[in-house]
Amino acid sequence: MNEMKSFTRRRFMMATGSAVAILGSRATLAQRLRIDPNEFQPVPIAIPNFVGGAPSDGDVGVGVTQVITNNLKRSGLFAPIDQAAYIDKVVNIDAVPQFNNWKSINAQALVTGRMTRQGDGRLKAEFRLWDVATGQPLAGQQYFTQPENWRRIAHIISDQIYERLTGEKGYFDSRVVFVDETGSKERRVKRLALMDQDGANVRYLTRGSDLVITPRFSPSTQEITYMEFGQGEPRVYLLNVETGQREIVGNFPGMTFSPRFSPDGQRVIMSLQQGGNSNLFVMDLRSKSTTRLTDTPAIDTSPSYSPDGSYITFESDRGGKPQIYVMPAAGGQAQRISFGEGTYSTPVWSPRGDYIAFTKQGGGQFSIGIIKPDGSGERILTSGFHNEGPTFAPNGRVVMFFRDLGPGPNLFTVDISGRFEQRQPTPGYASDPAWSPLLS
Amino acid sequence: MKVKVDKTVVASIVLHVLVLGWGLFTFSTKAFVMPEEDTVPVDVISADQLAKVTAGMRSGKKENPKPLVEKVAEAKPPQDDIMGKIDKTPVVTETAPPPQPKPVEKPVEKKPDPPKPVAKSEPKPEPKQVEKKPDMTDPIAEALKKEEKKPPPKPQAATPPKPQKPKERVFDEAKIAALLDKRDPAHQAVTGDTLNSNAALGTSKGKAEAIVATWRGAFAAAVRRCFNFPYNGLNADKFEADIDIYLRPDGTLASQPTIVAVRGPSESIGKAMAENAARAVVQCQAYSFLPKEQYETWKYIGMTFSLKDML
Repeated sequence: MNEMKSFTRRRFMMATGSAVAILGSRATLAQRLRIDPNEFQPVPIAIPNFVGGAPSDGDVGVGVTQVITNNLKRSGLFAPIDQAAYIDKVVNIDAVPQFNNWKSINAQALVTGRMTRQGDGRLKAEFRLWDVATGQPLAGQQYFTQPENWRRIAHIISDQIYERLTGEKGYFDSRVVFVDETGSKERRVKRLALMDQDGANVRYLTRGSDLVITPRFSPSTQEITYMEFGQGEPRVYLLNVETGQREIVGNFPGMTFSPRFSPDGQRVIMSLQQGGNSNLFVMDLRSKSTTRLTDTPAIDTSPSYSPDGSYITFESDRGGKPQIYVMPAAGGQAQRISFGEGTYSTPVWSPRGDYIAFTKQGGGQFSIGIIKPDGSGERILTSGFHNEGPTFAPNGRVVMFFRDLGPGPNLFTVDISGRFEQRQPTPGYASDPAWSPLLS
Repeated sequence: MKVKVDKTVVASIVLHVLVLGWGLFTFSTKAFVMPEEDTVPVDVISADQLAKVTAGMRSGKKENPKPLVEKVAEAKPPQDDIMGKIDKTPVVTETAPPPQPKPVEKPVEKKPDPPKPVAKSEPKPEPKQVEKKPDMTDPIAEALKKEEKKPPPKPQAATPPKPQKPKERVFDEAKIAALLDKRDPAHQAVTGDTLNSNAALGTSKGKAEAIVATWRGAFAAAVRRCFNFPYNGLNADKFEADIDIYLRPDGTLASQPTIVAVRGPSESIGKAMAENAARAVVQCQAYSFLPKEQYETWKYIGMTFSLKDML
């Protein structure tokens, strides 16, 4: 019996082994050589100073180069090479670069450019993006603008480079609205402020006499909605950034909270507190008609539309603790998507639609994370003593939030892989950031 | 009667269940035992390819007829030799520094055994080899070239090695004896060197695939060195790009890489990745380390680039 068994088993194994061998050899014939990348390293890129069309244009050229360099570096995906290492200090945009000089400093990509002031007073900006290995031109554009807009031109060129090399839309030509905080902790003055995404061109939108919180950018227009605590109850306001025009949104009995635009910018969704609970309402900005979306004895708040406008994510404590829910934009059955330890709040849908960012509280820590709209793929990007208020960059690849380590809050950015976290430059303490859509 | 029959049937069923259950259990536990250490990609090669590899090794050591077991045991000369070889393959250059201590320790133990007189005779030939090696891409390939040159009647590079092997097997007894004489010293030297370098590679950085005896591992490592795609999104494991290349015998590209297919949730990202990969292949040429006698096997290389493990 034993012999029989062992024989059978041996035969079985031999048969199996030969079958595997045959399969293996066939697989090898058809197999392509797999190349998986090494651990990610920022891509080295060379950006020599843009030359000036005339000697007086040299300063603008240097400024544009610095803005582009700073943008690409802050993205975490690129490592601009120090200009001191360049063999060619000045690069003529009209000639094909000496690629060997750029290969020798390990540059993978090269950006050349020129700024020229035109006869009509406008500024002409030209740039070319080269692949150093193959010597192929990858992109090239020219722009005309008013001289004071040179920073925007630099942001637009940065977006072009980013898009060409990564295959994703850029986010540099965008702005951030936030709450600027000054003064002592007891007498904190909070003003609404606007800045470029790199921290430049800060403008104050309110005077600071009234407390403002939760500013939100319209995804399609240069409008902001925010909440202001005036003399009476807090109200939701609408502010046009360009004209400064301001209006109150709706006139409800009770307090309105956490307003946010619909993707088309035509409606504002918010939560309205009545008694001990709050529910979600949407208001059409043209007709001023309001629609109730939820009717529960729980606290439903922080609503945010999906980019196609068909769904809403919001925070609710209907299950006991605050968690994130998703429901159709017209109201209806809400589905809970967060099931981790602790509480989840301030959900915000990525402009790309692939993720929802949130603030998670638990274990004595505040974390910023992302989760897919179906509740899978939860990923914590950063954790700490106090992190709050995530907002997505227009391309949905970077999240800005604020962190308060004690003396006052500051803004930070982190990419959605969680690898590159850095402080966002602001004039003083800052909180409640909201990223604008791309300006162009 | 019926009761007896039932017993045997029951007994046989129980036995079968036990045996099958035992089999399942043991096999399944063996499967679970699989350690989660970094995987060693193993290329299944044909008997023909294996023969070529071994042939190359043998001929490579023909250059050093003198090195014997005693020489392998020596301390300093083998180290230089190892370093020289390691520097040639791209990936190995990264991994080479850490493993140094290990080879050093082993020779130190052996030092007392071989006295100085032996050292005097050896260092002289070996430094010369080290100087020569940087010029030539591969000592084995070099040796093969020499072999090819000896039989001039056949000018083609690919054909000569094949006829040689059957000849070795068919030869007369006297000739076989001569071959055996050559094999012995070569075999010892080869194992000594190879074991050292492999041990260093395997432990230093976990790049175990570099040990793979075929050119595929070395080629993949060389291309990987230049492939760096700026991607900070998720779903990195879903992006793939198939790229075909045709190579000249000197290891340079015969034409621009062809992007055959791109897969992934975003077309624009996939395209950018494929272009990036194609540029990486161009950037990292020439692949002169590819064994020339196997040119037919790497004249065309189909590759699949992925972003797996990038995050």
